Amino acid sequence: MANEILEEHIQNDYKWGFTTDIEADEAPKGLNEDIIRFISAKKNEPEWMLEFRLKAFRNWQNMIEPEWAHVSYKKPNFRDIIYYSAPKPKKELASLDEVDPELLKTFEKLGISLEEQKRLSGVQSNIAVDIVFDSVSVKTTFKETLAEKGIIFCSFSEAVQDHPDLVKKYMGMVVPPTDNFYSALNSAVFTDGSFCYIPKGVRSPMELSTYFRINASGTGQFERTLIIADEDSYVSYLEGCTAPQRDENQLHAAVVEIITHKNAEVKYSTVQNWYPGDKNGKGGIFNFVTKRGLCLEDNSKISWTQVETGSAVTWKYPSVILKGNNSVGEFYSVAVTNNYQQADTGTKMIHIGKNTRSTIISKGISAGFSNNSYRGLVQIKKGASNARNFSQCDSLLMGDKCGAHTFPYIEIKDKTAIVEHEATTSKIGEDQLFYCKQRGIDNEKAIGLIVNGYCKEVLNKLPMEFAVEAQKLLAISLEGSVG
Amino acid sequence: MIAEKSQVTRQLMEGLQKLSSKIAFIPDEEIVSAIRQLEEKGLPNNKHEDYKYCNIESFIRREFKTLDQTFNPLDLKVIEAYKLEDAINLVVLNGNYSEALSEKVIAKGITIKSLNEITSSEKNYIASQAKSSSDSLIALNTVFCGNGLFFKVEKGNVIPMPVHIIYLNNNSAPSLSNARNFIHIESGAELTLIESFINSGGGKIFSNYVSEKLVDENAKLTCYTFQNEGPLSYSVHTNAVKVNTYAHYSNTTITLSGELVRNNHNIELAAASCEAHLNGLFITKGTQLVDNHTLIDHQMPHCESNELYKGIANGKSIGVFNGKIFVRKDAQKTNAYQSSKNILMSDDATINTKPQLEIYADDVKCSHGTSTGKIDMDALFYLKARGIGEENARKLLLQAFAEEVINKIEVDSLKERVLHLFEKTL
Repeated sequence: MANEILEEHIQNDYKWGFTTDIEADEAPKGLNEDIIRFISAKKNEPEWMLEFRLKAFRNWQNMIEPEWAHVSYKKPNFRDIIYYSAPKPKKELASLDEVDPELLKTFEKLGISLEEQKRLSGVQSNIAVDIVFDSVSVKTTFKETLAEKGIIFCSFSEAVQDHPDLVKKYMGMVVPPTDNFYSALNSAVFTDGSFCYIPKGVRSPMELSTYFRINASGTGQFERTLIIADEDSYVSYLEGCTAPQRDENQLHAAVVEIITHKNAEVKYSTVQNWYPGDKNGKGGIFNFVTKRGLCLEDNSKISWTQVETGSAVTWKYPSVILKGNNSVGEFYSVAVTNNYQQADTGTKMIHIGKNTRSTIISKGISAGFSNNSYRGLVQIKKGASNARNFSQCDSLLMGDKCGAHTFPYIEIKDKTAIVEHEATTSKIGEDQLFYCKQRGIDNEKAIGLIVNGYCKEVLNKLPMEFAVEAQKLLAISLEGSVG
Repeated sequence: MIAEKSQVTRQLMEGLQKLSSKIAFIPDEEIVSAIRQLEEKGLPNNKHEDYKYCNIESFIRREFKTLDQTFNPLDLKVIEAYKLEDAINLVVLNGNYSEALSEKVIAKGITIKSLNEITSSEKNYIASQAKSSSDSLIALNTVFCGNGLFFKVEKGNVIPMPVHIIYLNNNSAPSLSNARNFIHIESGAELTLIESFINSGGGKIFSNYVSEKLVDENAKLTCYTFQNEGPLSYSVHTNAVKVNTYAHYSNTTITLSGELVRNNHNIELAAASCEAHLNGLFITKGTQLVDNHTLIDHQMPHCESNELYKGIANGKSIGVFNGKIFVRKDAQKTNAYQSSKNILMSDDATINTKPQLEIYADDVKCSHGTSTGKIDMDALFYLKARGIGEENARKLLLQAFAEEVINKIEVDSLKERVLHLFEKTL
């Protein structure tokens, strides 16, 4: 099995690297208030939404691009990006049959067959999918099934039209437009994304999933995800992404906000597989995203699980603000970098409420010429009594040209807090490799085996379908890195 | 903001310029680079990543509006009280090496002189490790340092007695002192060095120490830094050390008082197969800020480094540990360990830690661990159940916590002094 995957990989380094010939409706290049008005008008947005965008844009103009991350890259030219690109023809889609067949083919190549999904409806392990293609949501499956339970799962633009009260109330609550350079940019120009609302007392009967795809050249993808879990509700949310192989660097600057009310729980899993650039570090996606959850009320829980294998440069810190008493935040991450990839990723756990708990497990693997950094903040505010945090960040180095770094910040202002942090860095165990090889397992497979074992703690947290995909991805990402 | 920043620095520089004389023992180009650094960067504030938790600029702006640079006549009894009986005692008074107050050294192979007296070949060493361009406080010291101490142990000499340098400030009004020294342990030599930092005047003092230490092949330098400067003292200690092949360097820093204490340990493991060990203990109360900053730069293969830092924070005080292990491409087979443990004793105290690993070589074993918490309630219960009062039980536990570091001190008289004063602070 692993062999087949590897062979496939040798033939085509990045198998999601195809482009789809779909005519796109694009905004002119560049960024100014007119472009923002154009996007807003195109999406038929109410006045308050335009105001939100313009305010964010005016803020953004006064902000400076952050430089503190342990990455180096050529800064994108923000005047050279197409901020709106929608697959054409765009009309109201009632059923899958109306979707552009080219688009459907793309999804089949991606391994998400909408048809199949539809047929599988009613089966236990089904997933509702919202697909975002070049910043515009093209199709959300299972909408009706979910609606019966009162769950709202739709594209962000639809939510703006159909549920303006919810959007108005929660958008920007966790990641205000002034938060940072990229969140401000996103707030000004975001074109679509996913919106999810789980009403009181509802456990989502299926996993909700969004699939992001950058297709057009010269575009940036700026989507926004907003997940709200009302009292006593539960949802597991998945996100996946790919992009075509291009020589240029494309910018992806997303914002994800999660809000949990009393006793609610959100489990957010993502497998990030944007195009990482070629072997010489040419091209690839700049992945600068802001993800943050807010445990607004007591006994709520937010859990982030991420497998990061793609992107040329990653800059991502999914965080949890533990405001409610007894709330729980979790962060499980595997970040793999190969060739010339650079990742600066980690989390922030801000403890405000009493008896709050957080767990951080981060596994970094660097190979080739890549640099992989963990950057995290654990902050126990005054009055957050009995707060508890445990962090563990391990790094695995393959080859002597790569780097692994940890930058943990720990700030404690309450004497009843207990905070622990551990980090180790080592190379892949020679004796483990020897043990495998002695039993007739070749080098590549042995590495795959050891790495998967090393990441088990995190992979176990992923939903079934994702775990399988993630394991394959790990093997492919590290192909040829040792020996 | 920028205008304001340079203003604080300019004010400081103008205040000092009138009082300082030309420094002959530092190469001119280094002084030029130091002035440039000060003019361009100014003093570090919390926008500076390395000084995130330790805003030097705001301390100076707040506490040192004017600098008088007036020093009291010294009461010799003060010095006597701080001397250690089983060591050779040297005195650096208000930033200048004082031959008159220091004990005469008769041991073979030791050179002690003031920096003003060094030869031109020795001059090449000065400012070779503490680079002005890396830190504005080093630059400040480079431009305004007093007549420091040059200390050398010649090839193959093992000094049987520890050498104790007492840094004493005796100012009556807000002053700034810039003490500087250079310690050179030549190949095969061994030395135990104790540095005590004390303040006996009645005025506020900002002391900006720079110590450069060079440990040659097969040499061994064991250092103890004892900081007990009192509530009027604001100090920055920069310790730039270069360790060569098969050499061994260790330092144990004990911080018992001082309103602001910032320790910068920059250890360069510059050749293969050498070792560095850093230990630290601080106990803070009131509004104290103690910031221990370490950088261990592994440049060559087969080196080892070890760090153990412990802290106890009371009152509204802030304790900081920032440890960075930097492993360069060539430093294969590196073993680097770091551990930081802290206890918070009050609701208003803060502990900030940032243990950092930056690793560019693959065949290494590096780890760090940090924990912060309260006193172990089970242990406290155990002691109370055996009839030991809460107060005493707490003391016992804190002592046990601290002794892991204090026990690293191998000079008996110093260890006794530290234990005694530590108990008193509890």
